[in-house]
Amino acid sequence: MADTTKGPASPADIASPTIYLDGIPHEGFAAIREVDGLVWHPYGDQGDRSGFWAVTRHADVREVSKSPDVFSSAIGHTNLWDLEADALEARRSLIDSDAPDHTRLRRVVSKAFTPRTTRNWEGMARDIAAELVEDFVADGGGDWVGKVAAPLPIKVILAILGVPTEDADYMVELTNYLVEGTGEGTSLPDDAYGNTTPTRLLPFNSPASHALYEYAEKMRQLRMAEPGEDLVTGLLEAEADGERLTAAEYRNFFQLLVFAGNETTRTAMIHGAMALAEHPDEWARLQADPSLVVRAVDEVIRWASPILHMRRTASRDTELAGTPIAAGDKVVMWYAGANRDPEAFDDPYRFDVGREDNPHYAFGGGGPHFCLGAFLARMEIQVLLEEMLARDVVLAPGSAPERLASNFVHGVSSVELAVA
Amino acid sequence: MGGDPTGDGSERVAMVVDEDRCIGIGQCELLEPDVFRLGDEDAISRVVDGADLPRARALELVDRCPSGAISIADA
Repeated sequence: MADTTKGPASPADIASPTIYLDGIPHEGFAAIREVDGLVWHPYGDQGDRSGFWAVTRHADVREVSKSPDVFSSAIGHTNLWDLEADALEARRSLIDSDAPDHTRLRRVVSKAFTPRTTRNWEGMARDIAAELVEDFVADGGGDWVGKVAAPLPIKVILAILGVPTEDADYMVELTNYLVEGTGEGTSLPDDAYGNTTPTRLLPFNSPASHALYEYAEKMRQLRMAEPGEDLVTGLLEAEADGERLTAAEYRNFFQLLVFAGNETTRTAMIHGAMALAEHPDEWARLQADPSLVVRAVDEVIRWASPILHMRRTASRDTELAGTPIAAGDKVVMWYAGANRDPEAFDDPYRFDVGREDNPHYAFGGGGPHFCLGAFLARMEIQVLLEEMLARDVVLAPGSAPERLASNFVHGVSSVELAVA
Repeated sequence: MGGDPTGDGSERVAMVVDEDRCIGIGQCELLEPDVFRLGDEDAISRVVDGADLPRARALELVDRCPSGAISIADA
């Protein structure tokens, strides 16, 4: 294997967005996992020099996640490409922060997403899921994304935020444009939605972020005039007590919650439904023993790996898996690889709704950036499965999925499923 | 670290939460609701007075706290 400037060359391409049009390159991840130490993967306009260390084994993802002082979220960017300092600052959110900023920001929202708080939203989520499932069945199936997987999580997060449900379609439209920014680039003109900000200063380099900022500002004015019990009011009250949230922090928080609160859970629900349609025996198992639903939820999430990677940047010279890493190197945790690691999962390529030991890293590898919405996502997927079970809905394959050219979100824009 | 006279992880131990590190995820309260309680206002985890756990389970809670805020109170 040829050496690169940094280390052994990656035996497979896992970064080109168009690869993901055919699904996660599991064989490529397996080949990388099998190389001793870490491999150096080319990326970006300087090829080898702007590349990254590919972290694909379960144990190594864990070590990076649990060492935020060494593997920083605040340097460079948490996506593969570097941002200039002003761009990083303009778009900085919870995701791109280290302690103590991260701790301060996280505490502003943590109460809204604890397991205990999440239970308060279960009835609302169940009502939404029931209606969507009933409509899907009445239609005899159709596009699972547009009819079920997209509307359910966006309606739930908007209710939590206090955003009117009638704007759900607009929010989905905007966040779909954001995902484009992780692939081949946005299809929008720079001045879309009236944007005048240079796109390099906007999250996902997308003018759709400008539209979300504008919407966040509209919500701010509404809730300043008329506070509610919702999370937007919570963010503003945190801002109002003097030192917590700046205006930029508020709008980046709003943007993050709308994006992360719907794209990720949607993606899990899509891959989960596709898997259940393709593995009718597993659905029959769940129907025969509904007590497996809690395990099925985590298997759906492992199977989906909705977020394919997160990047860290070494804050100092260090070592991982026996490979020396220099300060400033990009270190990329590929959850998509860790979630099929045979060292961590028995028979990792089997979709097993009863999987007992399932330490998946779909919510991150366990450090302080552990997914804020993990318990909310689990609850939403669980009520969806339960409402399907209650109606004896059996899904069957329809069309092949239309996948996204993104190495960040394991996205599917549409997939036809039938009702058997 | 303190002793583990039984050697099988069944010895009961007290736990400590570093309130400066806790970021209110709630994994501990979900796993051991009788031992950990998140504040209703601040969502910071605190150990219920007098609560303890078998050492093996305590170590699991330490491991599974994403914030790294939980430790065993060894004398």
